[in-house]
Amino acid sequence: MLSIKNLCASVDGKAILNGINLEVKADEVHAIMGPNGSGKSTLAHILSGRGGYTVSDGEVHYFGQNLLDLETEERAHKGVFLAMQYPVELPGVNNMTFLRESMNAIRKARGEAEIDAVSFMKRVRHRAKQVKLDEKLLKRSVNAGFSGGEKKRNEILQMMMLEPQLAILDETDSGLDIDALRTIADGVNLLRSPDRALIVVTHYQRLLDYIEPDFVHVLASGRIIRSGGKELALELEEKGYEWLLEGAAA
Amino acid sequence: MNACASVFQQAATEYIDRLSNCEGEWLTEQRQAATQRFAELGFPHAGLEAWRYTSIEGLLQQDFKITHRTQAFLHHEMIQQFLGEPVAARLVFVDGIYQPNLSVHTGQTGLSVGSLHAAMAAGDRSVLRGVGSLSGIGDHGFAALNMATLQDGAVIQVSTGVAIRQPIELLHMATKGLSGQVQHTRHRVVLEAGASVNLVERYLSLDSESNYFNNMVCEISLGEGASLVHQRAQEESLTAYHLCDVHLDIQGDAHYQGVNAALGGAWSRTTFHARFVGEGANCELDGLYLAGEGQLTDFHLNVDHSVAHCESRENFKGILYGAGKAVFDGLIHVREQAQKSQAHLYNANLMLSRRAEVDTKPQLVILADDVKCSHGTTVGQLDDQALFYLRSRGLDKDQAKRLLCLGFTNEIVDRFQSEYLRDHLREEIVKRMSYERQV
Repeated sequence: MLSIKNLCASVDGKAILNGINLEVKADEVHAIMGPNGSGKSTLAHILSGRGGYTVSDGEVHYFGQNLLDLETEERAHKGVFLAMQYPVELPGVNNMTFLRESMNAIRKARGEAEIDAVSFMKRVRHRAKQVKLDEKLLKRSVNAGFSGGEKKRNEILQMMMLEPQLAILDETDSGLDIDALRTIADGVNLLRSPDRALIVVTHYQRLLDYIEPDFVHVLASGRIIRSGGKELALELEEKGYEWLLEGAAA
Repeated sequence: MNACASVFQQAATEYIDRLSNCEGEWLTEQRQAATQRFAELGFPHAGLEAWRYTSIEGLLQQDFKITHRTQAFLHHEMIQQFLGEPVAARLVFVDGIYQPNLSVHTGQTGLSVGSLHAAMAAGDRSVLRGVGSLSGIGDHGFAALNMATLQDGAVIQVSTGVAIRQPIELLHMATKGLSGQVQHTRHRVVLEAGASVNLVERYLSLDSESNYFNNMVCEISLGEGASLVHQRAQEESLTAYHLCDVHLDIQGDAHYQGVNAALGGAWSRTTFHARFVGEGANCELDGLYLAGEGQLTDFHLNVDHSVAHCESRENFKGILYGAGKAVFDGLIHVREQAQKSQAHLYNANLMLSRRAEVDTKPQLVILADDVKCSHGTTVGQLDDQALFYLRSRGLDKDQAKRLLCLGFTNEIVDRFQSEYLRDHLREEIVKRMSYERQV
């Protein structure tokens, strides 16, 4: 599904990614871990099309297509979704209107019919219940005045509604208490399916107790310095990143 | 005085000479005094602080004519598409002339509606004596011209304690026939003590290229404990000129809630003179403006806290795109005796183009020492992060921009009580943002 080869990128002339290689297939969950400043979020941003990064080398293919050539919204149309670390507040933009317009924009781009109001309402209520997002928040402005946990629940709600094929979760666990973490992980797990892949970017192993990864990659200084199964996350939890960083430097 | 001004003065003098005497000496004297005032003042110019950023050069170049029109015609079907919710009364003005056949009055007790022209024809002193009672004969040239040659307008009076639930609508339609002319209309609205009314003012053009000048004055008096909801939507043609001075006297414990939308006009300027004359009164004033290529939109607010224990809140938001230009000047004056006043003034501008311009000047002049006042102004662009967020959810750049612009204006649109107007304005905003292509 996704093939990243020797991806190198910089911000304002400062190299952040220094040759990332990663293969993601459908039905797989990949966890990207690493210390602060290792380039985890940069990778997530570049995959979703956020501006401000210069890709100096390498390629990213998504279903055989050059992903980096696509506009942000085209990536969304083709099933790429980024759950953001810091969801943006949109004062005055109604949460439900936003969700419906997003769904319809994606459907339209795929040549599908728009969703009717009744089906939409039914689905959004059902999904909101699954992520325990207060229905009142659906009628409010997007993320405006939401707590940290509510914002993250709202991200997962969007993901559930848009049903992406490649979902990238950027530090979705940051700032969440254990109950919220569990709810969100449950929501994410509901979406696991044979034709869908997940990339979970996280600093802590904690989230991976609930969203079980098939592969764990450790990112440091813009490179994947170690890949392994889910046991790698447990090892990291025990020994910290220092252990690997020393190894990589040696 | 420049050539154009002397032409206007000549026209005003001739206009007054032609009037029959039936409207009474008092009004004729006012007209003559206003003509004299105009001769002294001439047209406003950039040397005057209140007109510094609002050039009238383009307006003067249009060479508008003052004409004495008594007839205008519009078929009922032509206005049908502009009608919203049921009304207690609707006064339709076509090219500034009251149209009894298009107007509606449900005949509710305690509500009196009529036209200024009818009052003038009948020499109705009780109405005519009120003309200019709040505005004076004119504090700038255009206002003086309005007084000198005013022809028609609405006269609305609501008796003590009467609550009119359904709106009273003033619908102004400009036809092609108004092109090249200036129209002087003046409304007078009196709410007696404890009366409550929902007043809707709409300005529409039937011809998108019609080039005319609406030079309006609106005098509104709120008696003790009266309550007025005042919804105004200016959607003149994009080649028209629109000037309106709203004079507002607010007695004790009265409540005024005004909301404005200025979308149309090549050039438009609205001035509010709100004056508290009794304690415990409240004035809320909101507005939104959109100005694109070839447009200038101006709001001047002048809120006078002349007595204690009154509250005012003003919130105006604008979107500027293309080479659109806006002027915002909000002055809150809290006088020495106006203790325990509360006044909060905000102005926010969203700039969608580098060529757009806004000149904003919020001012608080506070002479009392026990007050709560604040003001704030912002001038910003669309947030890149917000645009990215929306695009990452599948919306293209234009859709994302439209949604954010609607979001920006929603706070003001929601202040319109009329659902019909809220929906209509949102549609118009979306339309305008769809034509807009530059970032």
